[in-house]
Amino acid sequence: MPAAGLKTIIALSFVLAVGFLLVILSCALWKAYYPLLVVATYVLAPVPNWICSHCANPDDFVESSGAAVLDLGRFCTGFLVVMGLALPVILAHSGIIQVPAMIMSVIGGLLIYGTIISFAMFFQEEQEF
Amino acid sequence: MSEERLFKFSRPAWLNSIWARNAGVYAAGGLFSLAFYVLLDSAVWSKQANPSDVHITFVDWLPFIFSSLGMLIINSVEKARLSADSFSYSGSGVAWKARVVLFLGFAALAGGMAGGVTVFVLRFAVPGVDFPAMTMGVENIVANALVGLSTVILWVSQNIEDEYAYNLAL
Repeated sequence: MPAAGLKTIIALSFVLAVGFLLVILSCALWKAYYPLLVVATYVLAPVPNWICSHCANPDDFVESSGAAVLDLGRFCTGFLVVMGLALPVILAHSGIIQVPAMIMSVIGGLLIYGTIISFAMFFQEEQEF
Repeated sequence: MSEERLFKFSRPAWLNSIWARNAGVYAAGGLFSLAFYVLLDSAVWSKQANPSDVHITFVDWLPFIFSSLGMLIINSVEKARLSADSFSYSGSGVAWKARVVLFLGFAALAGGMAGGVTVFVLRFAVPGVDFPAMTMGVENIVANALVGLSTVILWVSQNIEDEYAYNLAL
C-alpha cells in the first residue's frame, strides 16, 4: 500500500514504544516482573494464524479440510489474545501484582498488539487471485 | 434452497458472510481461553491468597479436562458426514459412525458440566465453605459453562462455513 509511508512507520513505532514503556513500568515500579509475560503473549498471538494460513489451501472449497486448518489458527489466535488480557487480571486477583500494575500492563499489551495488527494491515502484500 | 426452508424467518444475510464465520471462530477461541484462565485463576488464588483450608487439587481440574475433550471430539467430526444417509455414494456406515462419535463428544461435554456442579456441591456447598473460598467452586461451574458456550459458537460458525461453501458451489 503506497499510502502507508514513513509517517505510519514513525507513528506505529512510537505507539509500540509507549506500550513497552507501560509494561516495563508496571513491572519495575512494584518489583514484580510477571507482567512481562503479556509482551510474549501478544508477540506470539499472530503466529498460529500466520502458520496455518501458509498450511492451508484457500482455493479448496469442496473438501473443507483447508478451512479447518485456518479455523484452528484463528482459534489459537483468539486464545492467545484473551490470554494476554486474562494473565494480569489473574495475577492481580491473587495479590501477586498490584491493581495499578494490572491496568498499566493491560493497556500496554493492547497497544503492543494493536501495533502488530495495524502493521500487518498496512504493510500486507496485496494478494489477489 | 429457499424452498427447503423449515422456519418462517430466514437467516439474515449478514450471518452468511465469511466475516461472521471468522468472528465466530475467534470468539470461540477467546471463550475457551476465558474458561481456562477462570479455572487457572481459582488455582493460583488457592495457592497464593487463600485464607481457608480448602485447596484446588487435580479433582477440580478433571471436569474441565472432560469438557475440553468433548469439545475437541465434537468439533473434529466432519459435519457433512452427519447427513450422508440420504446420499447414495457414501454408505450408511459413515453417518452412523459420525453420530456415535458425536454422541461420545456431547456426553463428555455434558459430563464435564455435571462434574463441575458435582465438585461445587460436594467440596464447597455441602461443607459450608465461606465466601472468598466459595469463589473457587463457582469458578469451576463458570469455566465448564464457558467451554460449552465456546463449543456451541464454534459449531454454529462451522455450519455457517458449510452454507457459505454450498452457496459458492451452486
